[in-house]
Amino acid sequence: MDRMLYVAMSGAKEVMLSQANNSNNLANANTDGFKKDFNIFRAQHMEGPGQHTRTYALDERPATDYTPGAIKVTGRDLDLVTRGDGFMAIQTPKGDEAYIRTASAQILPNGDMVDVSGNPVLNEGGAPINVPPYESIAIGDDGTITIVPAGAQGNQQVVLDRLRLVQPDVANLYKGLDGFSRQREGSPELNQASVAVVSGALETSNVNTAEALVNMIELSRQYELQVKMMATSKNHAQKSDSLLSVR
Amino acid sequence: MNHALYIAKTGLEAQQFRLAAISNNIANANTYGFKAGRAEFNDLIYQNVRQPGAQATQDEANTLPSGLQLGTGVKAIGVQKIHTQGNIMVTDNQLDLAVEGKGFFQTLDQDGNLMYTRDGSFEVNQNGDIVTSSGYLLEPNINVPQDATEISITSDGAVFVSQPGNVGQNQIGQIELATFINPAGLESLGKNFYAETTASGAPNINNPDTAEAGSVLQGALESSNVNTVEELIGMIEAQRTYEMNSKAISAANGMMQYLNNNT
Repeated sequence: MDRMLYVAMSGAKEVMLSQANNSNNLANANTDGFKKDFNIFRAQHMEGPGQHTRTYALDERPATDYTPGAIKVTGRDLDLVTRGDGFMAIQTPKGDEAYIRTASAQILPNGDMVDVSGNPVLNEGGAPINVPPYESIAIGDDGTITIVPAGAQGNQQVVLDRLRLVQPDVANLYKGLDGFSRQREGSPELNQASVAVVSGALETSNVNTAEALVNMIELSRQYELQVKMMATSKNHAQKSDSLLSVR
Repeated sequence: MNHALYIAKTGLEAQQFRLAAISNNIANANTYGFKAGRAEFNDLIYQNVRQPGAQATQDEANTLPSGLQLGTGVKAIGVQKIHTQGNIMVTDNQLDLAVEGKGFFQTLDQDGNLMYTRDGSFEVNQNGDIVTSSGYLLEPNINVPQDATEISITSDGAVFVSQPGNVGQNQIGQIELATFINPAGLESLGKNFYAETTASGAPNINNPDTAEAGSVLQGALESSNVNTVEELIGMIEAQRTYEMNSKAISAANGMMQYLNNNT
């Protein structure tokens, strides 16, 4: 059997995986705050005895694209977006910090400030934020949370806390299996940074749908090429069989 | 089987869910006191197809630098009610009330359970009790005397009536408003009513104009806070994303079809 069949087959399989990744980006085209995943093919040379004739392609997710998405204004006080290359911090169910660029924050009955999936939003000190009963709440440009306590007059504003805002090097960020973006191990500690926060807006996903559609077509065609190679190798096998057949 | 098919399917479902939420908002664009809902999404977990750092070849130094983690699609978390203030529309009807602030009117359902609403289009029933437009009693109950000629309600919720033969006005009741620390956690019952849940927290009852309850405006109603332009843009987004996801399904289908026809 010609080895090219295996090379072509693995090529087709890897293209399928890449197509799945592209579909995931498309499926999340409307998920606020979603960051699209890069996907590349890497040449993986076969080592071993004999002639070095085969190089397989491996599909990989080397990184996530952290470029900002579009800003959509919602008017809700607790919808937050960080500007520039800043991030907010939330606490994951595992108990460590993850970084997000947009949050549709909510205040629970016990006063905890959480994102839409219930993960606590963190303050400067890296602790969850707790808000006492309030009449109105505002989040300033620098992440300062100001409230008018319940029962107070409108001009009695109390500065309550400040969001944890960081400026990580996006090269150190990676998206874990749970979908949270964390810093890689061994990255420098993140200090509070002067990052601007906009309240009353959300960031849309940064999936470029046109690019994703073109990608989809390209991957489909590549897949067909690989299948063609598989068919070709089948032809080869048939021809060599017919050479051996007794007339 | 083909991952892409199932991932694109979650995309279709999510967009369908979003379109349903948007349709509901547009349908209620003219409902008094209605609060718009926003569909919220999350990406699903990722699968480890190839672990980063796994060995690429027999040579131990040769490891995969980044591996392959594959997302599994998108999930709708739910519809979050956006409790921003709607516009105040002046109607000049004596029993139309609007709340400027965070408070909800309290009403009783047929079983005596409390329900909360922002819709202040009140009327008087055959017994003289103030009821909502759907006939539920206001809580605390306020009874309007048969011979009342005029009802006036102050911004702090005190209800006065003028009666023939009386100089000045008599107070017949006091409207109280309930506030919640997390109004987004209220359960929507339909008919403009909400019920308390563990997520919303317990109601905090105050007279209007005190604490965070807000003030009552007589002769006005609060329109819905649906921003129709925003909803229409959302509709375009949802529709186009739906189409793209269905294209992804076609692409995955085409790949498999090609494989079947050509090998």
